[in-house]
Amino acid sequence: MSNVTVSNGRRPSPHIPKHFYTVLIVSLILLGTSILASLAFGSRSVPFHDLINGLFRPEVDTYEANIIRKRISRTVFSLFCGAALGVSGSLMQAVTRNPIADPSILGVNTGASLFVVCGMAFFGMTTASQYIWLAMLGAGLTSIFVFGIGSLGRGGATPIKLVLAGAATSAALSSLVTAILIPRSHVMDQFRFWQVGSVGAGTWGSVTTFIPFLLVGLLIGFLTSPALNALALGDEAAKGLGVKTGTLRLIAALAGVVLCGAATALAGPIGFIGLLATHLVRLLVGADLRFVIPLSAVAGAVILTVSDIAGRLIGSPGELEVGVVTAFVGAPILIILAMRAKVRSL
Amino acid sequence: MKPNHTFTAEQVVAGYENKTVINGVDLTIPSNRISVIVGSNGCGKSTLLKALARLIKPTSGSIMLDGKPISRYPSKQLARIVGLLPQSPIVPEGISVADLVGRGRFPHQSLLGGWSKKDYEAVAEAMDMMDITEFANHNIDELSGGQRQRVWIAMAIAQQTDILFLDEPTTFLDITYQIEILDLLTDLNRKHGTTIVMVLHDINLSARYADHIFALQEGRLVAEGNPTEVITSERVKDVFGLDCAVIPDPVSGSPMIVPKGRYHAS
Amino acid sequence: MTMTTSRPDNVSSSVAFIRAGRRHRQRRWMLVTGTMALLAAALCCAMLILGNTIYPLDQVLRALFGEQIKGVSFAVSTLRLPRMLAGLFAGFAFGIAGYTFQTLLRNPLANPNVIGITSGSSAAAVFCLTVLQAGNAFTSVAAVVAGLLTVVVIYILSRGKIFSIGRLILIGIGIQAMLDAVISYLLLISSEKDVPTAIQWLSGSLNGSKMNELPPLVLIVLIFTPILMILGKHLHVLELGEQSASSLGVSTDKTRIALIVAAVFIVAIATATTGPIAFVSFLAGPIAKRLVGNGSYNLIPAGLVGINLVLAADLVGQFAFVTRFPVGVITGLLGAPYLIFLLIRMNRKGEL
Repeated sequence: MSNVTVSNGRRPSPHIPKHFYTVLIVSLILLGTSILASLAFGSRSVPFHDLINGLFRPEVDTYEANIIRKRISRTVFSLFCGAALGVSGSLMQAVTRNPIADPSILGVNTGASLFVVCGMAFFGMTTASQYIWLAMLGAGLTSIFVFGIGSLGRGGATPIKLVLAGAATSAALSSLVTAILIPRSHVMDQFRFWQVGSVGAGTWGSVTTFIPFLLVGLLIGFLTSPALNALALGDEAAKGLGVKTGTLRLIAALAGVVLCGAATALAGPIGFIGLLATHLVRLLVGADLRFVIPLSAVAGAVILTVSDIAGRLIGSPGELEVGVVTAFVGAPILIILAMRAKVRSL
Repeated sequence: MKPNHTFTAEQVVAGYENKTVINGVDLTIPSNRISVIVGSNGCGKSTLLKALARLIKPTSGSIMLDGKPISRYPSKQLARIVGLLPQSPIVPEGISVADLVGRGRFPHQSLLGGWSKKDYEAVAEAMDMMDITEFANHNIDELSGGQRQRVWIAMAIAQQTDILFLDEPTTFLDITYQIEILDLLTDLNRKHGTTIVMVLHDINLSARYADHIFALQEGRLVAEGNPTEVITSERVKDVFGLDCAVIPDPVSGSPMIVPKGRYHAS
Repeated sequence: MTMTTSRPDNVSSSVAFIRAGRRHRQRRWMLVTGTMALLAAALCCAMLILGNTIYPLDQVLRALFGEQIKGVSFAVSTLRLPRMLAGLFAGFAFGIAGYTFQTLLRNPLANPNVIGITSGSSAAAVFCLTVLQAGNAFTSVAAVVAGLLTVVVIYILSRGKIFSIGRLILIGIGIQAMLDAVISYLLLISSEKDVPTAIQWLSGSLNGSKMNELPPLVLIVLIFTPILMILGKHLHVLELGEQSASSLGVSTDKTRIALIVAAVFIVAIATATTGPIAFVSFLAGPIAKRLVGNGSYNLIPAGLVGINLVLAADLVGQFAFVTRFPVGVITGLLGAPYLIFLLIRMNRKGEL
């Protein structure tokens, strides 16, 4: 990636990776296709002319057209969630300088779940806008806890330590969740709805709740990416380049937690999107975060939307939660990373 | 005294997956003596040792003990004749020193049942020899690096094999402990006649402690014999790529190399 | 470690010194193992005596020996005895299988729970229960086969150039995530009425254990426990690492395969019978080690710890709270903090 040419006298300052435009165009095409597919496919497939009716002719009031309109909010919501989770994964990987840092692996999902359950069980919360803050708090505290345990001892937070800390914490927290739920059947129903809800529960209401968090998170992600690039060289090198590593870490991690916390609060736990999106993008355009972060947003959106479509088709006549699909598709990435890793870097 | 064994390797080729490291080695290990394998990094010293101690299977060639290929011996029977101390043995957590040394008795024991009188004696003798009996009932975690190395050697001694292979028994140890370990191994050889074959890094220590030296270069045996014959300045330049003078060791009279380097020559 | 450190001066006194130390450790082993066996027996009695109605021991015993006592006979023989036996054998099975894995892979984290074997068996069992509506024997066989398959897949994927426990654990966690996804899918497509059974089963429960479900578990435990005991010395030598083990005359590959197959059989059959009771296979080994020390073969102590954990957790789950909790929730609440504690300790010591 370092074939900087100065022949035309202009410094190619953003130094765009070789395949960037191709990747960008292809991923945008995929994005468009997945949006259309998300509108068309489902437990009930809709013919093309009904799709057009539903989208562009509000006066048509057929059953199919109404299904399409419901699917619009769902699709927008899944795009937003996917983008948030993708960027969140990139940010966490950059902050921890660790290739397997994904919200779900860091136990963030279960942390958010526990807090949401507590909100439902002990404070009688019922709506997403109430427990979005709780979910974020849970996500934040859990990721700090997991990262704290994982980075104890020699060598800092190695992938294996981080994964184990995450798995252990998840196990502990989900036991707590079960213990809180079993005696409270009404909370159990509510929680199951939230947990299963996935992006299917996405209404325009949840989209509007989500937008501010998404914007703030994405903005911070984009703005910190040059500094995060420096961080990739190691703390000392980054300091040498004039980066305030502590502040940078805090801000970027906060953005990551806000993004995945908000997505989790509204859509329920969805794992492995960050891992999948970020590694796919890195494979295509290299490690420069200025390109990785925006493309991860697109990739995350595509992956989540496609997974959601897959869940609708596989689970027909019901629906398979999107989190189940992403786990099944995303977990192999973890396996591949583990297989490729050098023994010592585990 | 330990019985005489003929241990020979013929045209041994060995290595890992798709990389051949040892490329046709013929050798006969002098019985009841101390042999040292020397050579620069990556020349295949450890691989040769592992092949001889049947830890890796040669891709071709044969390794014979008393006229029979070692692969044809039942593994427990072979383990009563040939032992090996690996370079970095693994320490189980929280085990007492005596129990660890006792695990060296495995090839002599039946599947069920505890220690026999012979087991106790072998363990006690090995520990006395390595001077670690006082730690017998301590936890292995409490010992220092040098002490642990003696525990490992004691375990290998308790196995009571006639031939003992050691893969760099002195790495990671201070010079004081290196000498101590090599002295103890010499004791073992002189008292019991145990045939010792080891890989050592330090040429001067090899020359002093070895009765017989095998010099290895790029997977081939390039010289063998007693230290005075093998360690010459030409050969050190050949095998290690090092310009040096060879003088008699003022303490033992064995050959001692003095590296030249590019500076400081008078 | 308050043994004297004075130096004995000849071999026979060294022998006496070493023998005294070993006697001391063996006595501790006997004492701890005996105590745990007694405790397990007491918990078994408690399982039979306690319930909605508390029956005195003599009535329970008479009912067990076939006397028909109104009320008592049904509650004890049909409800409480199968529950107690399921807990007894499953606890023992989880304990010894976990211990075997942990010792073989030299890492307390490498137990069937963490590396995904339990998930493999669970997925197969859920498939049999919900989709195939299969009977008991078939479910057991499927669970064992799936457990073995999971091990094979994890092993092949984690082989690499140099075998590494860390890689094995990471891959196991990945496989587990996939298998859990499969389980969720199975729950979705299974019919409404099977879901509650499956969910209760998945959290590990002794509820509704029936006498006719127990024979496979009992049989496998009785067959494989002696095998694991005979392989005990081999396991001890394997613990010293690949190279030491083969130079001591252990055929490492064969032994490892035998140990793994035996342990997987045991853990899979137990999983098929009671569901994955969280963390028992993980906790039993380290607790046993802590209690008796590491010098001797701790298979039986680990099994006893397993029994005690399962029975005690089941009693707590049944009677300590207003709501009844399945045993797996209680062991999960106990086990997870211990797992975190263990991780912290291992990280501090730089063992990972």
